Amino acid sequence: MKFRLNKTVAAVASGALLLMVVPFAGFASTSGAATKPTYVIGYEGPLSGGNQQLGLNMIFAVQLAINNANATGKLPFKLKLAQYDDQGSGTLSPAQAQAAVANKKLVAVVGPAFSGATEAAEPYYSAAHIATVSPSATAAALANGTQNNFMRVVAGDDVQGAADATYLVKTKSLKTLAVINDGSFYGAGLAAVVAKSAAADGATVTPNTYPETGSCGGTASVSEYTAAATQIVASNPSGLFYGGYYCDFGLLLGALSSAGYKGTIMSGDGSWSTALIAGTTPASAANGVYLSEAGGGNSNLTGKLASEYKAISHFTANNATYAAQSYDATNMIIAALQKVKLASNLTSLRKSLVVELHKLSYKGVTGAIKFQGNGDLTRSSVVDFGQVSGTTINSIGHS
Amino acid sequence: MGAFGHYLTGHFDTLRIEFWGLLVGGLATGFIYGMVAIGYTLVYGVLRLINFAHSEIFMSGGFASYFVLKAVMGTTVPSGLATVWFIVVGVLVGGAAGALVATGLERVAYRPLRRRNAPKLAYLISAIGASYFMFNLAGKEFGRYNISMPQPYINHSVFTVFGAPVQLYYIVILIAGVIMLVSLDRVVATTKLGRSIRAVAQDAETASLMGVNIDRTIALTFILGGALGGAAGFLFGLGNGVVYTMGFVPALKAFTAAVLGGIGNLRGAVLGGLLLGVAESLSVAFVQAAYIDVVAFGILVLVLLVRPTGILGERLGRSA
Repeated sequence: MKFRLNKTVAAVASGALLLMVVPFAGFASTSGAATKPTYVIGYEGPLSGGNQQLGLNMIFAVQLAINNANATGKLPFKLKLAQYDDQGSGTLSPAQAQAAVANKKLVAVVGPAFSGATEAAEPYYSAAHIATVSPSATAAALANGTQNNFMRVVAGDDVQGAADATYLVKTKSLKTLAVINDGSFYGAGLAAVVAKSAAADGATVTPNTYPETGSCGGTASVSEYTAAATQIVASNPSGLFYGGYYCDFGLLLGALSSAGYKGTIMSGDGSWSTALIAGTTPASAANGVYLSEAGGGNSNLTGKLASEYKAISHFTANNATYAAQSYDATNMIIAALQKVKLASNLTSLRKSLVVELHKLSYKGVTGAIKFQGNGDLTRSSVVDFGQVSGTTINSIGHS
Repeated sequence: MGAFGHYLTGHFDTLRIEFWGLLVGGLATGFIYGMVAIGYTLVYGVLRLINFAHSEIFMSGGFASYFVLKAVMGTTVPSGLATVWFIVVGVLVGGAAGALVATGLERVAYRPLRRRNAPKLAYLISAIGASYFMFNLAGKEFGRYNISMPQPYINHSVFTVFGAPVQLYYIVILIAGVIMLVSLDRVVATTKLGRSIRAVAQDAETASLMGVNIDRTIALTFILGGALGGAAGFLFGLGNGVVYTMGFVPALKAFTAAVLGGIGNLRGAVLGGLLLGVAESLSVAFVQAAYIDVVAFGILVLVLLVRPTGILGERLGRSA
């Protein structure tokens, strides 16, 4: 386990390096637009590691929103993006949050992306009064208090988990369910909501935890999924729900298919990515898997935005989970920034941005967005369902 | 009997299938651990050091066979003889890549230190450095995400053991593993190379006085261990895909297996691997899966308390 420790230390050290680089980038840009001040919007999420795809989907959308806002020429300031790569890990995110806090031009953050990372980073952001608008951190426990500096443009896992349970138990008429999670703050939280709601809906639920493996940034042995699949096939539940991210979910799917499991399989937004299909051996094991996402309404970038997004990211917007939410989150911050008094004092600017974001009613590509005091959306979000078919994920309706 | 009796038999069936299923899966994992463990134990035998970069030999084997299979295999899943052929190609490419990387590692990370009579700690740091270098390079070059291995067959249950299905994938691991482990055992026991490996392991200085070329023997030892490790990387990747960090946990487990079986002892390494694989797998029947590693390392500590030199002691070399 010493190895593991060293890896973490190395990653923290590289985070610290980033901290030193970012302020310089900020200074360099000011010389270009001498009359307008430059503000930095941060993005924190996984930009490397086993679950980087979700983070990459997001950061290009953040970049797109910033580019488009700068291109209007009407802003009284110039915007820049700073990226903070936490690899989706709660171990690494505090260092990234501290780096963001220390950035003298940073006014607000899009993210953090993953719930566990958010939980670990939030104390630092909250102490510095930095608004964090997450496109994807859905753990129910994150929303609390009033004037919460943490806000999110997606529904919490209580909404998603309940909808998933209803889908499996009511729509699919499954009476026995294995509810598995990866032991992460997000995965365990979502699975707990699904297990509770499914039991309430009348299903028999067997919960289990299989921690994240070495192939996906964790420390557990991949062979745990072989054992899991054996047990699942032996007890043969009619359905299985997985709370966790696509990398480990893909390994579990491979093992389940090898072991000959034929039941209905579903997972949440952490697995809604075509990278799930690319990482599943054999790829056909992912076929037919149901996925859910607390997106609500129109949750993809479409039309002109989709082609602009593709131009900078080379990703197809329809497959880019959380791109639309990231675009909206960034635009909310930009809209709020245009309403606050642009103070020279960084702390008061950050503070008033939190207040302004809570007042804002915004019409984004994902729908109408307004925050409650605890940071959750005021509207009751619908949950979108999808199904893997070949190499794509088809939308199959919503709750 | 009535409903309760029916309930009991139903549950007993589940338990029985679970037991045999877990045993079969555990043996498959155990063979992979064993093949990797051989690499640790061979190098320990001749150099008295733990090659901590062995995880990256495993990873290299996985990636090399992935790239070759992706290039030579069409989009349709082969069947019959073609399946066997692609599996053999995968094993050979994985083994060759493992042997190549092991040779490079010996040349760059160990031989210069040996020439300078460096302390053992320097080897350890050199190994860890090489490991970090290699897996980060792989992450940079091949992407930091899991990649699915092209499948030379459609995996299915071939037959059942007491109701538990045995998959084709396990049979592939079993056959490939047994062939390679038996061949290695014969090479070390009967050939001239094997004799020089055993001689160097017993007493390097005397062996060199008796005319054994130490450098060559050590290089060949790395090649043997590397080939098995690389081939194991392919077999692992066949079921789980390849990713730059794929070697870390299996190699740590294999190292554990080598110590469990008695480091320096070839058969001990295989025995340790099988025991660890099966113990891990069966523990799931008793505790939550999250405790697999707790159980596995608990067993290691218990065995070492009773037999500090491991199950089969240390037959290959002198007592450390």
